Amino acid sequence: MQASIKRRQTQSETTWKVRLQEWWFRNRALIGFVFIFPWFAGFIIFDAAPFVYNLYLSFTDYQIGTVGTPPWIGLDNYTKIFSEDKLFGKSMYNTVYYLGFSVPLRLIFAFLIALILNLRVRGMELYRTLFYVPSVVPLVAATVIFAGFLNTRYGFLNQFLVLIGATPVRWLSSPDAIKPSLILLSLWGFGGQMIIFLAGLQSIPEDLYEAAAIDGGTGWHRLIYITVPLMTPTIFFNLLLGLIGGFQIFEQVFILIGTNGGPLQAGLVYMLHVYNKAFRDFEFGYSAALSVILFLIIFVLTILLVYTSNRWVFYGDAQDDES
Amino acid sequence: MKVSRLFGLAIAVMMLLSLGLAPTLAADCEGEVIELEFMNWWGAAREALMDTLIGHFQEENPCIRIINQVQPWDNRAELLATAAASSNPPGIIMSTRPETYQFAINGLIIPIDSFVEAHGTDLSVFYDGEIGLQYWNGELYGLPMPTAGGLTSLYIYNKDMLRDAGYDPEAPPKTWQELEEMSAAITVADPMGVDVMGTQVIGGDAAFVSWLYTNNGRYSSDDGRTLLFNSPEGIETLEWMVNFTNNINGGVENVTDFFQDTAFAQGDHPWYEDQIAFLRINTSFYGHYNVNDPEGYADSSHWGTMLRPYNGDNPDATHAGTTGYNYSGAWAYTIPAVHPPEKQEAAFKFAEFIGVHPLGGCAFLFAQSRPSPVKECNENPAYYEVNPTWSVVLEGLATDVAVSITPVQGQLSELLANAVEEALFGVKSPADALNDAHAEMQALLDEFWAEFDAANM
Repeated sequence: MQASIKRRQTQSETTWKVRLQEWWFRNRALIGFVFIFPWFAGFIIFDAAPFVYNLYLSFTDYQIGTVGTPPWIGLDNYTKIFSEDKLFGKSMYNTVYYLGFSVPLRLIFAFLIALILNLRVRGMELYRTLFYVPSVVPLVAATVIFAGFLNTRYGFLNQFLVLIGATPVRWLSSPDAIKPSLILLSLWGFGGQMIIFLAGLQSIPEDLYEAAAIDGGTGWHRLIYITVPLMTPTIFFNLLLGLIGGFQIFEQVFILIGTNGGPLQAGLVYMLHVYNKAFRDFEFGYSAALSVILFLIIFVLTILLVYTSNRWVFYGDAQDDES
Repeated sequence: MKVSRLFGLAIAVMMLLSLGLAPTLAADCEGEVIELEFMNWWGAAREALMDTLIGHFQEENPCIRIINQVQPWDNRAELLATAAASSNPPGIIMSTRPETYQFAINGLIIPIDSFVEAHGTDLSVFYDGEIGLQYWNGELYGLPMPTAGGLTSLYIYNKDMLRDAGYDPEAPPKTWQELEEMSAAITVADPMGVDVMGTQVIGGDAAFVSWLYTNNGRYSSDDGRTLLFNSPEGIETLEWMVNFTNNINGGVENVTDFFQDTAFAQGDHPWYEDQIAFLRINTSFYGHYNVNDPEGYADSSHWGTMLRPYNGDNPDATHAGTTGYNYSGAWAYTIPAVHPPEKQEAAFKFAEFIGVHPLGGCAFLFAQSRPSPVKECNENPAYYEVNPTWSVVLEGLATDVAVSITPVQGQLSELLANAVEEALFGVKSPADALNDAHAEMQALLDEFWAEFDAANM
């Protein structure tokens, strides 16, 4: 009798579970939406809506305190940017210069460190942690530390240069040294990229290296013909994020050299110009137009990179599938 | 006793305590309490002093509760802009003259002339040059505190360093030429830069404009419509600054490096290490000096105050300072337009207390050994005890000249600062730098006035 009751209960539970699974399967799209809703709502409220509003503002003469609907001025802000604004070109040049050096240098540096940290050495966990720690330090604190580090008279870097008989550099006071200083500072936070590289390196199958070793491949051959090709998706990912983040560099420059961009505005990066137009000159419409242009530049560059990635990024699995 | 009862008792005690800790005004006020958020930049070091001022105000005005919102200096621009433009701005805002003008022209703050009239506020207690800076387009937008004067006219100097260099410590330099001679004698440099500095004469556009007035030049016309800084006097001034910086300091980079990561509000400034002989100060310096080096401040044989030197080769030139030109000067307390009349009325009462009451700005500034924009406050003989160079401070205030500016001063200032830098770095000659900047700045100014005039036709 008891066995019969138990069997019925089990059958009932099984039926309930099956029904739930069926319902779950039938409504999987809805359930998926429920799960992503918090992110989606956040995206709409905090990203999409401000973006659309910013786009709208860029066609208006919105100034601080404009009551009601800001006056629509069409493309005037954009015309002014390209025809009158000398600092547009200057700030864009400074930003591209910074990007041109900081992004590749940071990629190479993070990649090399990841290669070293991928070796099988005792205590490697400790080394990995030590190399990642700088990335945990808040940017403001890191920048303040760097300001002392780069101090012409008392900074560690110049003291070191003097010690080895080199000429000290006026890191923050010379127009020629401002951008290199910012590039140097950008290397500080390489830990994030390093971790991604490290994860990529650890996913490379060991048997490929073993096969290369059997064929007499040296360490250099293994790096060039196995590691680098298989790491291209990770390199591509880091490159993309580096470019997008690099175009938006702001905080460290703001803290290190102020809103004017340092001597001869050699460090006036694009976002600093956007900031000055909004919060110093209170020209929010114009500032919105500047930020729309930045968005378009990043967007086009991203499309170009994705488009050209077919030629140099090696997605091993995809090619296998195709074959 | 059960836990819930204990919890209930604790809540009751906390409520009673909070009632007791609440400002006494709540008990004394017979009407509705008006709360005013007071957005200011007086800094943490002066927060207690400001709280004392607020306490005195609340004793006299029990139905107004001031919430002292001391703001960090970092991100000041966006804090101020977003607060002023929001639908719920602070009850009263501390703003500089260019900001006040920008808010006024955009209708974010209200003119206070009607309150002044209704309250019978006596504006003649202020120096004309101080209250005059707070008018835009004929309307008054705030009452001043601290002074706009004394920001550029005063130098503090190190008597010991003068003595060691063979000069009379009681005869500081009066002219550019004397300043050059003494600075050259005092300055010590090495390959890493300047070790000991006589003085330096740069500091963006504000420094240029300040030196310009000691060469009998002017920044702009009285109506603020015409820029005049590229006059022969202006070009001579910038040439002198460039030559001084190159010949005595060894270049602009040496000067920047010498002061890098230091501030006289903190104890790390070269002044406190006897590394600079003549230092341009504003009147807040005495308070900082007293806090950072009380022994040095107390020793009047060690330091003195002098006026900004003038061009001794120009017979028309004399000591002069400027007021209201740069961003850090000409502070006032302004009232946002969106608040209801009773809140604006309360804000004016507080602004008036800060401005003219003996226990307001007067006492607040005296505690910092710095002058007040109210003439009578500065006549307090006790000032001579807390600042042995008080007579020079008053002389500096008397020689200050108000500079006419407009709401686009921020943009003009940036252009002029760039021109000065171009001359200092040798990118352009001083004459070319000033003339080029003048053309660009005048065009911007003309555009502003054209729009302004069209809107006010």
